[in-house]
Amino acid sequence: MMTIVKETAPHLRRKATVSRMMTDVLIALGPTLIFSFVVYPLNTLWTLLISLFIMNASEFVYVGLRNMMSNDGQKHTFKERFEYSYKGKITKNNFLSASISAVIFTLIMPAGAPIYAVIIGSLVGIIFGKLVFGGLGSNIFNPAVVGMLFAKFCFGSQYVTYVPTWYFTIPDVASGATPLGLLSEGAFSNITQYPLLDLFLGRIPGTLGEVYKITIIIGLIYLLIRRSIDYRIVVSYLGTFVILMLIAGLSIFGLNNNVNPFEFLAYNLLSGGLLFGATFMLTDPVTSPINPPSRYLYGMIAAVITVFIRLFAALPEGVGYSILLANMVACVLDHYEWSSPRYTWKKFLAMGLIIIISGLVTFLAIYVGGAYHG
Amino acid sequence: MIAKTTHIKDTKKLVGSLPAIRYTEPKYLYLAMANARCPKAELFIKEGDHVNSCQVIGMRQGPFFEQPIHATCSGTYLGLEKHYHRNGKLTDFIKIENDFKDTLDPSVHQRSPEEIAALTKEEMTQIIKDCAMVGLGGSSFPTYIKFQTNKPIYTILINGIECEPYITADHRLMLEFPYRIMDGIKYVMQAFNCKHAKICIKSKYHDIKEVYQQVIKEYEGSGIELCLVGNYYPQGWEVEMIKNATGIQLKPGELPSNQGIINFNVSTMVGIYKAIKYNMPVIKRFVTITGDGIKFPKNFRVRVGTPIKDLIPLCGGYRNPEKEKVFILGGPMMGASVPSDDCIITKTVTSIIILDKTNYVEEPCVRCGSCVLSCPVHLEPVQIMNAVKAIDKERIKKLNPLKCIECGLCTYSCTSKIQVTDYVRKAKLFAKL
Repeated sequence: MMTIVKETAPHLRRKATVSRMMTDVLIALGPTLIFSFVVYPLNTLWTLLISLFIMNASEFVYVGLRNMMSNDGQKHTFKERFEYSYKGKITKNNFLSASISAVIFTLIMPAGAPIYAVIIGSLVGIIFGKLVFGGLGSNIFNPAVVGMLFAKFCFGSQYVTYVPTWYFTIPDVASGATPLGLLSEGAFSNITQYPLLDLFLGRIPGTLGEVYKITIIIGLIYLLIRRSIDYRIVVSYLGTFVILMLIAGLSIFGLNNNVNPFEFLAYNLLSGGLLFGATFMLTDPVTSPINPPSRYLYGMIAAVITVFIRLFAALPEGVGYSILLANMVACVLDHYEWSSPRYTWKKFLAMGLIIIISGLVTFLAIYVGGAYHG
Repeated sequence: MIAKTTHIKDTKKLVGSLPAIRYTEPKYLYLAMANARCPKAELFIKEGDHVNSCQVIGMRQGPFFEQPIHATCSGTYLGLEKHYHRNGKLTDFIKIENDFKDTLDPSVHQRSPEEIAALTKEEMTQIIKDCAMVGLGGSSFPTYIKFQTNKPIYTILINGIECEPYITADHRLMLEFPYRIMDGIKYVMQAFNCKHAKICIKSKYHDIKEVYQQVIKEYEGSGIELCLVGNYYPQGWEVEMIKNATGIQLKPGELPSNQGIINFNVSTMVGIYKAIKYNMPVIKRFVTITGDGIKFPKNFRVRVGTPIKDLIPLCGGYRNPEKEKVFILGGPMMGASVPSDDCIITKTVTSIIILDKTNYVEEPCVRCGSCVLSCPVHLEPVQIMNAVKAIDKERIKKLNPLKCIECGLCTYSCTSKIQVTDYVRKAKLFAKL
C-alpha cells in the first residue's frame, strides 16, 4: 500500500547545499596549499596536520558535550550515550567547516612558527573563535584569524625566519624583512628590492600560504564562478582599498616625486594577506552580514580599517585585525531596525561618507600631518 | 550557492505539449458543501432527486457573500460523503450519480450577439454572480466583487503566465480555446468600457505566442494585444505581472484597480465567456496530473467534481508505489498537500502533483543570504526565522512579515534545507496578534 504523507509548501528544493559551498572553498584553497607544500614541505605538513586534528576533534567533542544526555536516574551504556549525543546532530558540515578553518589557519601562519604556537593557536581559534558562540553558523569571529592573532600575540618573538633559498631570487633576503614591514617603516624606496613578480609568485618571506597571489587569484575566480562566495564583499573590499591606496599614493607623490603612486598601489595590493583575506576570510558567510547593501558596507569598513592600520598604525599588517573588527560590525549592520535588502538613499549616503571621510583622513594625515613618508 | 533564485527546474515543456484528454465521465461526481471562503451551505434537493446539469442545487454561505452550487452533470443525488477538499480538510461533498445523458438545465440558453452587446456592467455582474464565477487560477476570489469596482479601468491584464513549476493546465487551455478566451476578454472590455487588454504570457512560450499572433489578427481594432513578460518565478504574482506588463509598481496592499488596472486569469476568461454567452457556470476545467510519482503525466479536461482516484489509472498509476508520496493540489511551491489521494477536483484545482517524498536534513543556517536575495517582496526570511525562534514580537513586527506572499522561494533556495517559509508563516501569526 502506498503511503501519502503531508508536508507544508513549498514541496521542491534546489540542489545547492552548504556542503557544496564548503567543498568549493576547500577546492579553491587547494592550489595555494599545494604551492605551500612545494615551498615549505615540512612546515606546511605538520602545521596542517596539527590544526586539522585539533579543530576537527574540538568540533566533535563540542557537539557531544552540547547534546549530552541529562541525568535521568537510569544507567546507560556508553554506546547509548554516544548515539544520543551524535546521531543526527553531527553532519559532514561540522567537519567541513572545521577543516576550512584549519586549512586557512595553516596558510596564514608564518613559515617559522614553533609547534606550540600552532597547537595553542588552533585550539584558541576554534574554541574562542567559534565554539563558545554556539558552533557552526553562530560564530561572530573568523576562527582562523582569532587563532593566528592569538599565537602572534603570545609567541610572536619566538617565530624564526625560515628561507627556502632554492625558491627565492633575492640573495640578501635572509634579513627576513617582509615587504610590508618595510612599507610600514615608511621606507617605500627600500621595498623596490623585491620585484613585483616576486610578490606575485610569493618569493618573499612571510606566511605559509598568503604570499602566493597567483594561486589565490585562481581560487578567487573559481569561487566567484561557482558563486560560493558573495562577489559584493570582494568587490567593495578591494575597490575601497584601491581607491584609498591611490589617494595615499598620490599624497605621497605630492611630497616625494620619486614615488610612483601606481607602483605603491601595486605593492600594497600584492603584499600581505589582502587577497587571501578578501577571498577566503572576509567572505565567510557566517561572519558577514546577510543583505546585499550591508555586505557592500561591510567590505568598505574592512577596507578602511586595513588601509588605516597599514599606513598609520604601529603594525605592518592590518588584514587580520580589519577582518575581526569588520566581523564585529556585521551584527550591527544586520540589526533589524535598519537592515533591509533594499538600497535606500541612506545606505548610499553611508557608503559615500565612508569613502569621502576616509579618503580625506588619508590625504590629510599624509600630506599635512606627515604621518607617512615614502 | 549565494545567488538569487529565479528558475525552478521542472518538466513543463514536455507535459505542456500533451493535448488534454476529454470525455472522462466519472460514475459519481462530488460537489463541495464548503470551501475556504464559504464555511457552510444549504441544500435545495433531497436524496433521490434528479438533477440537471448546471442546475442550482444549493447555496454556500460565507461571511461576506453567498455562492450558488451548480450540478456539473445530470443524474441522481445520493447524499453527502466526506472527502478531502483542496485545502487539505475533510469536507462534506454532495454525491451525484451520473446518468451520462448530460441534460441541461432550462436556465442555460444562448444569448445572441445583439443581446450581449446590450448588456450593461450591472447585468453582467449579476450573470457572473449567478454563475458563481470565481478566480480559477487558484485564488477562488469571487469575480463579481472585482466587477463591482467603481474606479475607471484603463487596462485589463489577462494572466496566462502560470509561473508555478509543473502546471500546464492554463498552457493547454490557451492553446486549445483561443477564441473563447478572446471573446471572454471582449465581454469584459465591454463591461468596463475599457479600450486596452493585454494577454500576458512567458516570453519562452513560443507555441502560445504563435497561436495568439494569428488569432489577434482576426480581432483587429479590439485593443487586445499579446504581452511577453519574464520567465522567472514568481512572475505570475499580480504585482510582478503588472510591473512587467505596464511598468506600474503597486504599493504593498494596494488594489490594482487604484491604478486603473484589473487582472484575471485566462481560465476565468473562459468561464466568463461561458457565463455570458450561454448563461452556464463552470462545469469543466483543465487539470494537469504530473510529478515524478506518476507514470505518465497528462493534461485533462474534466468535469468539476471528478474524484482524482478515477484519473490516476488513466495516467498509468503510480510510479514506485513502495516510496512515500506527497500529494499536492495546486502548484508545488504554494499548493497544499493532502493526506490521501481521496480528493476531489473543485473549480480551483489547477493540477495534481504527485512527488516522491524527500526527507531533507536541516543543517544549521550559515547565513548565506540566498533567501534574502530571492525574496520577491524584499523581506529577510532568515532574520524573521531568528526572531521567531527567539519569540521576539517587537522584532517580528519590525521585520514586517505580513508583506510575505508565501511564494516559497526562501525554503526553495535555502542551502541548509531549512523550512524557512514555515517560520515566516508563524511570524505572520505573531505579527497579527
